[in-house]
Amino acid sequence: MSGVKLSGVMKSFGETTVIPMMDLQFDEGEFVVIVGPSGCGKSTTLRMIAGLEPVSAGQIFIGGNDVTWAPPKERDIAMVFQSYALYPHMDVSGNMSFALRLAGRPRDEVKQRVRLAAEMLELTEYLDRRPRDLSGGQRQRVAMGRAIVRDAYCFLFDEPLSNLDAKLRSTMRTELAILHKRLKRTMIYVTHDQIEAMTMADRIVIMDRGIIQQVGTPRDVYNTPVNRFVAGFIGSPSMNFLKAQLTGSDGLRVRGKGFDIPLNPRLSKAATDHSARDVVIGLRPEHFSVEGAGGTRSSLFAPIDLTVEVAEYIGSSQFLAARIDDQPVTASIEVGPDSAPLESGEYLFDTNRMYLFDRKSGMAIA
Amino acid sequence: MANPSAPPATVSIRPLSPYFFILPAVAIMVAGLVYPVLQAFYLSLFDWKIGTRFEDAPFVGTRHFVRMLTDDNVHESIWVTLRFGFWTITIEMFLGVSLALLLEKPIRGASVFRTIFILPLMISPVVVGLIWRYLFDARIGWINYYLGMVGIEPQVWLGDPELAFFAIVFTDIWQWTPFIFIIVIAGLQALPSEILEASRIDGANWWQHILFVKLPMIRSILLIALLLRLIDVFRALEVMYILTGGGPGRATELLSLHIYNRAFETQQLGYASAISVLLILIVFGLSFAILVAGNPMKEKSDI
Amino acid sequence: MRFLDWKNRLAAVTMGAALAIAGPLMANPYEKYAGTTLVISWPALAHFTAAEELLEEFTEETGIEVEVDALQYLKLRDRQLLEMSKEEGEYDIVSWVVMWKGEYVAKGLLTPLSQFFTNGALVDPEFDIDDIADAYLQNGGIVGGGKGYLPGKSGALYGLPFGAETSILAYRKDIFEEQGLAVPTTYDELAGVMTQLGEAGIPAMTSRGKTGHQVTAGWLLHLAPMGGKIFDDQWNPVINSPEAVKAAEFMRHVVQTGPTGIETFGFGEASAAFLQGDAALYLDTLKIAAMSRNPNLSTVDGNVGFALHPTDVRCGSETGGFAIGIPANSQNQEAAFLLIQYLTNKAGDQRMVELGGDPIRHSTIQNNADLFPEYPVVAEQLPCADPDWRPLIPEWNELNIDVLGQALTKVITTDDPIQPIMDEANEKARAIMEREGYYKWAEYRQGS
Ligand SMILES: Nc1ncnc2c1ncn2[C@@H]1O[C@H](COP(=O)(O)OP(=O)(O)OP(=O)(O)O)[C@@H](O)[C@H]1O
Ligand SMILES: [Mg+2]
Repeated sequence: MSGVKLSGVMKSFGETTVIPMMDLQFDEGEFVVIVGPSGCGKSTTLRMIAGLEPVSAGQIFIGGNDVTWAPPKERDIAMVFQSYALYPHMDVSGNMSFALRLAGRPRDEVKQRVRLAAEMLELTEYLDRRPRDLSGGQRQRVAMGRAIVRDAYCFLFDEPLSNLDAKLRSTMRTELAILHKRLKRTMIYVTHDQIEAMTMADRIVIMDRGIIQQVGTPRDVYNTPVNRFVAGFIGSPSMNFLKAQLTGSDGLRVRGKGFDIPLNPRLSKAATDHSARDVVIGLRPEHFSVEGAGGTRSSLFAPIDLTVEVAEYIGSSQFLAARIDDQPVTASIEVGPDSAPLESGEYLFDTNRMYLFDRKSGMAIA
Repeated sequence: MANPSAPPATVSIRPLSPYFFILPAVAIMVAGLVYPVLQAFYLSLFDWKIGTRFEDAPFVGTRHFVRMLTDDNVHESIWVTLRFGFWTITIEMFLGVSLALLLEKPIRGASVFRTIFILPLMISPVVVGLIWRYLFDARIGWINYYLGMVGIEPQVWLGDPELAFFAIVFTDIWQWTPFIFIIVIAGLQALPSEILEASRIDGANWWQHILFVKLPMIRSILLIALLLRLIDVFRALEVMYILTGGGPGRATELLSLHIYNRAFETQQLGYASAISVLLILIVFGLSFAILVAGNPMKEKSDI
Repeated sequence: MRFLDWKNRLAAVTMGAALAIAGPLMANPYEKYAGTTLVISWPALAHFTAAEELLEEFTEETGIEVEVDALQYLKLRDRQLLEMSKEEGEYDIVSWVVMWKGEYVAKGLLTPLSQFFTNGALVDPEFDIDDIADAYLQNGGIVGGGKGYLPGKSGALYGLPFGAETSILAYRKDIFEEQGLAVPTTYDELAGVMTQLGEAGIPAMTSRGKTGHQVTAGWLLHLAPMGGKIFDDQWNPVINSPEAVKAAEFMRHVVQTGPTGIETFGFGEASAAFLQGDAALYLDTLKIAAMSRNPNLSTVDGNVGFALHPTDVRCGSETGGFAIGIPANSQNQEAAFLLIQYLTNKAGDQRMVELGGDPIRHSTIQNNADLFPEYPVVAEQLPCADPDWRPLIPEWNELNIDVLGQALTKVITTDDPIQPIMDEANEKARAIMEREGYYKWAEYRQGS
């Protein structure tokens, strides 16, 4: 068995339990992203894998070895921190070679590996500089370089890009992806930015309050969220939720204030098996449309009245802050770059793209 | 990736402006620091005795300085001071840093111990001198009392050249180790935890962690502590004055105490001023050497 | 010389008026000065604290007000020098440690007392200056004679002793009895007693021994009886003379047989060792007698006997303590003289004894011989008190602390031969005297 495995892991700080129970399995060579809101326990999970934080219960395996109680240096891992955590008193090559020197590797090998990593990250000309003389992006790359030279079995990243500006962040994202392709190592990457998660991950782990909500490919978690939390967390702008009642017997509909929409056969069937009538429907902003522009009035597209409060022009689409009756919704509608600001009126929604959740448990009905 | 380009030529402050802004600070320095030094130098050119008018004091030129250079007592006193400085600072730095490293972790009772440990710092030097003079007292002191309980002969701690030297070194260590401890522990606690974790992940063991990461990162703090202690060694006066008065013989007569004794015991104000000029030069030289060796100021933006 | 400001004058007038109303005007030497305020600078020591009551009696009797500025005695000198070197000083009376008198006079800070003793309106015919212990008077008050600090044709009186003292031997009667020892009268006997006590495991004699003036003071006590001096008549130091070396040897013997830690003892520690029962003998100031009766200081009260300072080739005890005189810049010199006279005349001296102070007059000591066990001893000791037991010249400070204070520390803390130590000290002393110009005349004569 290889990869990284957490089995029955529990973590509490004194009285407060941060992670009640966690089972996770990452395959070798996989790029996994852990996302979740701030304070949900992502860093804690990562730090337990790194060995910086002892588990309260359970076991951790890396590459098939039980490392639950092993110190960090025996886990064959490398880690990149949010603040980069470079040694201020060492120059770039000193920083990158520190682990190798501690391990007593031969000089030539150390030099060679640092050189290679520096080339890969385009740091060659900065090798003699101290961290304080580097820009944020350069420091970030040194932190990566420090991990790369190790050639560890598993790489851990804790929000490594969050201190960079948007442009640099997207560049680094790409570089990281390339790096992963080249190194083919297991990488576990923590972020609270769902775009990072969607773009880089082979698989995404979504956490909330210490509990794993869903594990799956970006496609899975976007298309078939298992509950309201995941549905709301993945996707940008996030999904609109409206309270509704299941009505009818054959060919069910959902009715709420200001709307009455028929369910497509797939949902209808699922809802028939469901006992409770109180539900919540989920509508992603990007699945609204106007007639004639991508939308057609067919049985698949249900009409909904939107009271538009603000229409923001963002190029080929417009972003609406609106209401359905008195419930606020957002919508993102492709109308082309030359169209006039959208106004209140009837809009269309693709019923195939609708999600249905139990109002009490928040679980998806599908 | 592109090199960060040259800084944009924007604000053009004239090159003299910085001097203008530090002018008030310099003025205060001159008034408060340089003036007394010059005054001491001026005084050293005269043979002035307390109770006579300074205007009547004969001008003796460099006679005091010439005398000082050949005065065995001054040489001996410098030697005592250097030995004292070497032992106290070495041991204080070692103990202070070690204790700080040990007590840095929030283990049970650490904060209580820390508070107790820094008490000596809060006691006035005069009281420190009195406490230890009593403890070291040959006839009624606790130290001899407890040594007697384990069968060790009473020692004349403050009356034997070697023991007295040991006593002042010991007292100084007792009083000043907490100082090193406190600033080192403050420095250690200000270290970013992620860097320390990074070094654990990089595979540093306990002593590598301390030697290659922690200590280098608080290097500027260590330097400043060293500098302050060094200057203090040359200023130390009250404790030795009360403990031994410089005796027996000149075994514990540090340079500052030597100056004091010259000025106030034997009333040679001009000569004492000449020696204090020498003292200032020594302290200045040592401080300068330390600052050149590793300017703590320039490291401030490390992290 | 005297100048009364309007306030004082007003007070004097009022006072005079009050007296006039009270009855027929009597001849009163104090009357002229009533209402004056005198300021005294003296040390905060037992004798002087006791004297404060006498000052109140003085004010009551004379109408002259007195203010006291009592300082710790080590601070006294700097303060007095400062005040006395001003154009108009605060102080009308100062009290000095005898050692300082030469310096004060050399700097022109004191007024000679002769101008008052020649003033019939001021001087009390019954004052009887000859009744004052001669050594005290010479040691504390006379400046300018043969050696500068002793009487002689060129000398003059600048102060009167007040709080002066000499040395006596104090011993533990109980220990002496228990060990079957006789009270020593000579240094040989004393040395024998010390050896015997040492062999019996009893700390023998306490002494000052701390580096600097303390150890020198301990040694000087033995130097005079052994016939030694610091200088010969030509200001040549003779601290390597056989007598001086013998005194140093004796000092070493004291340390070897005495209580632990003499090397660190100042006056306080040395006295405490005796008072707390850690030494069988004490040879220093007579003040030990009063201290031994003070339950706060002493645990040996009732067991202390007193004897004369032992003799060797001659008898010679220390002279020291304080004297009082009048600053040259005092604005109330005549009134000040009246107060000094009041404190030191027979009645005043008697009152000082009653108040717990130390007497300076033969008559007082004799009249009170039954009062305290040490008085008969002191009466007998005083003729032996040696006003020249140490030189009171400005250079003495440096000799005392830097030269002798260092050499004698070496004597008592090492086993090195003593003669070379004292030889070296003598050379250093000579260099200092040379530097200060004491041999200029001799060189001049030799040259011509
Ligand atoms: N040493 C600690 N002692 C007590 N509580 C802690 C400790 N470390 C973390 N926690 C708590 O554990 C919870 C999870 O913290 P963690 O750092 O894992 O969150 P996170 O998901 O990384 O959040 P963020 O996105 O803000 O970094 C938080 O509620 C935090 O307050
Ligand atoms: Mg985190």
